[in-house]
Amino acid sequence: MKKLLSLSLALLLAFTMTACGDASASEEAGKAGAEEQLVAGMVWYNFGDTFITATRNAVSDAAEGGNIKIDAADSQVDISTQTNNINNLLTKDVDFLTINNINPAGAPEYIAKAKEKDIPVIFVNCDSPSDEDLNSYDKAFHISSAAEQSGYIQGDLASQYWNENPAADRNGNGKMDYIMLVGMQGNYDSKMRTEKSVERVIENGIEVNLIQEALCNWQRAEAQNQVASIIAARRDDIDVIFANNDDMALGAIEALKASGFFADEDSYIPVLGVDATKVGVEAIKEGTLMGSSLNNPVILGSTVYKMIELLSEGKEITTETLGRTVSEDGNHIWLDYVQITAENTEDAEY
Amino acid sequence: MVQSTGVKKKFNKQFFLNNGLYVVMLALIAVIAFISPKFLSLVVLRDILMQSSTRIIVALGCMFILIAAGADLSGGRMVGFAAVVSGSLAQASTYSNPFFVNHADLPILVPVLVSVVVGLIIGMMNGYIVAKLDVPAFIATLGTSMFIYGLNSLYFNLPPNNSQPLGGYQKAFTELGAGSIAGIPFITLIALGCMVFVFILLNKTCLGKEIYAVGGNEEAAKFSGINIFKIQMFVYSMAGVLYALAGVLEAARTGSATSNYGAGYELDAIASCIVGGCSITGGVGTVQGVFVGVLIFNVISYGLTFIGVSSYWQNVVKGIIIVAAVAIDVRKYRTKS
Repeated sequence: MKKLLSLSLALLLAFTMTACGDASASEEAGKAGAEEQLVAGMVWYNFGDTFITATRNAVSDAAEGGNIKIDAADSQVDISTQTNNINNLLTKDVDFLTINNINPAGAPEYIAKAKEKDIPVIFVNCDSPSDEDLNSYDKAFHISSAAEQSGYIQGDLASQYWNENPAADRNGNGKMDYIMLVGMQGNYDSKMRTEKSVERVIENGIEVNLIQEALCNWQRAEAQNQVASIIAARRDDIDVIFANNDDMALGAIEALKASGFFADEDSYIPVLGVDATKVGVEAIKEGTLMGSSLNNPVILGSTVYKMIELLSEGKEITTETLGRTVSEDGNHIWLDYVQITAENTEDAEY
Repeated sequence: MVQSTGVKKKFNKQFFLNNGLYVVMLALIAVIAFISPKFLSLVVLRDILMQSSTRIIVALGCMFILIAAGADLSGGRMVGFAAVVSGSLAQASTYSNPFFVNHADLPILVPVLVSVVVGLIIGMMNGYIVAKLDVPAFIATLGTSMFIYGLNSLYFNLPPNNSQPLGGYQKAFTELGAGSIAGIPFITLIALGCMVFVFILLNKTCLGKEIYAVGGNEEAAKFSGINIFKIQMFVYSMAGVLYALAGVLEAARTGSATSNYGAGYELDAIASCIVGGCSITGGVGTVQGVFVGVLIFNVISYGLTFIGVSSYWQNVVKGIIIVAAVAIDVRKYRTKS
């Protein structure tokens, strides 16, 4: 029995080891057989992120039909890992570099390094480098969703609900009392969504009052725990819940459901997310999540690949060649967020 | 006269040192309740127990390892893997974005059992690497944690799911996580069951005594005829099973799962165990201590959110509590000797 156990474990280990071996071997072969093939080095902030994975999938789908090889690296939400990744890719002499940058302060340095190697550098879905830095090198670009839009969409939806439903002011203090579920401190998207959503509500002439800002690291379970506590403390004060992403919004909804909300029309509380994930859209259809917005990863991924392709062909990146709006100075590409509510859930398909 | 007050003082000090953990927790509750009296309510108690339930199960797994003088960094990722595996198998056939296309409604025992078996296999792998291949536990489990996370990400990214958060579970499965009987959440009952099971195993069986013996002094245990390999295999397997169970319940409780579930739970579990009186050097640890250790952390995060303290301060307080609790604990043994 014992021998059998050791044997099976040894086999399991051997299997996993050969599995790893195979993967690296085929990768080597791929590299060796493609000496004259162009390679795009791509640095992503976190392979574990739903959105990033979807974007990477879209890039590889686009790359399947093209002739540029992708070499992707995971920064694991760590600036120094990101720096190492960038340096490694540059040492490998990649022909293009894309950075899903989590270190805005490092942008000038990255641009300078790319300039030194004379390769295009594209900042993807992150805070933009300053115009001065971008203009310092004619092959530096920035492509991103307009992060503030996702905040504005939340703000507009909340304002609309507030104006149409007198009962929305649950404690009758004349102010929109809200909870803000924050994704990650210092993260650009998180910051924009947190600020712009409320800014828009105020612009719409509604007074606001922050009940509590809770840092939930984009996590559903964390949001569920914290919102449960806030409900227990201030149940009758909560008018609206803003969440920086759908996962946290859905965590909040679980907590609300557990304490008796969403049972009927009178126990409805508007909860707003961002991302329009599949579970998020299901919740919108079900009538719990009020709205979300979509930054389409397929559009982002395929556009990034298209940019690389255009550059490899020596073409200029313009609104005409790319099929997306390119800024006048030619180095910004802004992708629009799409508002998703019960009326247009089909727009969330990609 | 003088002597007796001296004894009394010593007794008080000893009492405080022995029960420092409980004193800290009661003080915390008192402060929070003073600021917001509503804190002393059944709803709050229920919420805290519910939020602690999965954490307790993870911490119990971690406790086995710590008692046997091991280390395990794979717990969090194991929770995540079990959450995704069980979630993918617990979906209702009517859900529009299924992980497996055209599947039937599986009895919910299937996702639970499959995940637990996966946890068992990975736990055995940990045990084998540590006990047979002599890789330091810290490194071995760091390795497996990456390995599991990678596997989980690959699985989670399978088409047609493509890394979308899972949802659309069968009612019976969400009920497992969110339902209750006579006001007591199922998951709290399950956590309680695990505590009783582990308590009996550690205190009333030979195996339990052998685990303490191995952790206390491995050489001595070896000479007294204890099979170290068997014990190591057992503790890591047991931990794997408990982590997996916690992962299943986490998926059920939140009604979703992603490959990021469980991230960081291993460190929380180690912290709870240490605060609850487990020794880093092995041989010491009790179920009730670990229970209070987990509870303290959940009282802090729930309570501080309850009175509106910012998330950043919560970490400051948690950090202080960890250090303070261990500082008191160290003194406990010092004064005794």
